[in-house]
Amino acid sequence: MKYDVVVIGSGPAGSVTARFAAESGSKVLIVERRAEVGVPVLCGEGISQKVDDYDMLEGRRWIANKVEGARIYSPDGTMVKLSAEMAGEETGYVVYRDIFDQELARSAAKAGAEIMMKTEATGLLKENGKITGVKAMQFDEEFDIEADVIVGADGVESKVGQWVGIDTTLKPHDLETCVQYTLTNVECNVKYCDFYLGKEVAPGGYVWVFPKGKDVANVGIGVLGSLSESGMALKLLDKFIAGHPELKKGEPVRLLAGATPVAEPVETVRDNLLLVGDAARHVSPITGGGLTTALEGGKIAGETIGMAVREQKFDRETLSAYEIGWKEAFGKKLRRNYIVKEIMLGFDDKTLNMLADSLKDYKFEEFSTLSLVKALVLKHPTLLMKLRPLVKISEV
Amino acid sequence: MGKPKAKVDEKKCLACGGCIAVCPKDAVSMCGGRAFVIVERCISCAICIRICPVGAISGEV
Repeated sequence: MKYDVVVIGSGPAGSVTARFAAESGSKVLIVERRAEVGVPVLCGEGISQKVDDYDMLEGRRWIANKVEGARIYSPDGTMVKLSAEMAGEETGYVVYRDIFDQELARSAAKAGAEIMMKTEATGLLKENGKITGVKAMQFDEEFDIEADVIVGADGVESKVGQWVGIDTTLKPHDLETCVQYTLTNVECNVKYCDFYLGKEVAPGGYVWVFPKGKDVANVGIGVLGSLSESGMALKLLDKFIAGHPELKKGEPVRLLAGATPVAEPVETVRDNLLLVGDAARHVSPITGGGLTTALEGGKIAGETIGMAVREQKFDRETLSAYEIGWKEAFGKKLRRNYIVKEIMLGFDDKTLNMLADSLKDYKFEEFSTLSLVKALVLKHPTLLMKLRPLVKISEV
Repeated sequence: MGKPKAKVDEKKCLACGGCIAVCPKDAVSMCGGRAFVIVERCISCAICIRICPVGAISGEV
């Protein structure tokens, strides 16, 4: 079995990488350990409207609900609203991640990529120290897949990077441990994604309520790994729901757990092997959101691989165009957001209440974490002094 | 008596992969849709026990 590229994992980053590599003329194989693309869902299912700009998803079947903004609640209940005031403008979607992922896999297949289900990559094939493919196992059958380029799109628990000596182990401080119910028959405002902060609510993280429809919502929690104890996330989520009558009256139709990196990105190119998406830690350390960066990074990876295949050059220098590309596209943003995360983790509940109070009537110019950070810097220059140069950098 | 090694309760595990991501010794893998500890590699650091969102990992001597 010989391909130009083998992609390990059929999540958004893997499928988009595969699609753009295939569109550039490469022979691509995606291997997926699970029995269904996108299932089980491991995600809060919120995404910025920026996804429309990428134009990677056909149709609207993957959209559960369009939202107009976000409401952030401080520990004492003070609400800060981020919304695009201009009538009719969308700011984000709550999606069906299984359909979302399957749509992206379908585009990869349409471009010519092959997909193998129930197939786990178990290690690298090497010849004279050079990576020549992966060892794989489908059901009980073991076999070799030769490939010029290997892509690790194997998510938060990535093993592929470790195979070439990239240390992708996350410190507990750099991981949010999450659990989420999809609740039906709840009362929720379909216009807003809600976020609840506070030491008692979600240490080092937040609780989210993302409406999927008028009486259905994803209600989940992320707790920072270093502040977590065994089973804490689920206990705190149950406690939160019990304290909110509008949610308590609902019944769950789904329970899922997840983990998201809130780390600085790692090295993403080693020899002829690339890491994309969560495996590359391409996730905003503030929100834990990684869908848009997975799509953006995957496209850059796929195009880079396409170029390498055309030129038949698979050295690190050629493939480093990917690393240079994503650093230009969103590397600064991830670095800045990591620093913001560190600063925010230092805020006690009193400070969060004070900050929320100062922003409760603020008119945000746009719906983004950057606009929130800018407003905070503007209102509290001394408190957020460390951020001033970074906010300037990000405006360039 | 040795230190307690991590053990995953298969009935509780929801396969989020968090324990795999934080394990400093690469001692946890996904196996059949559930996390699985390779006991020989486990150094009893308990990081995975603490980060499990549903309390599916415990220490076993």
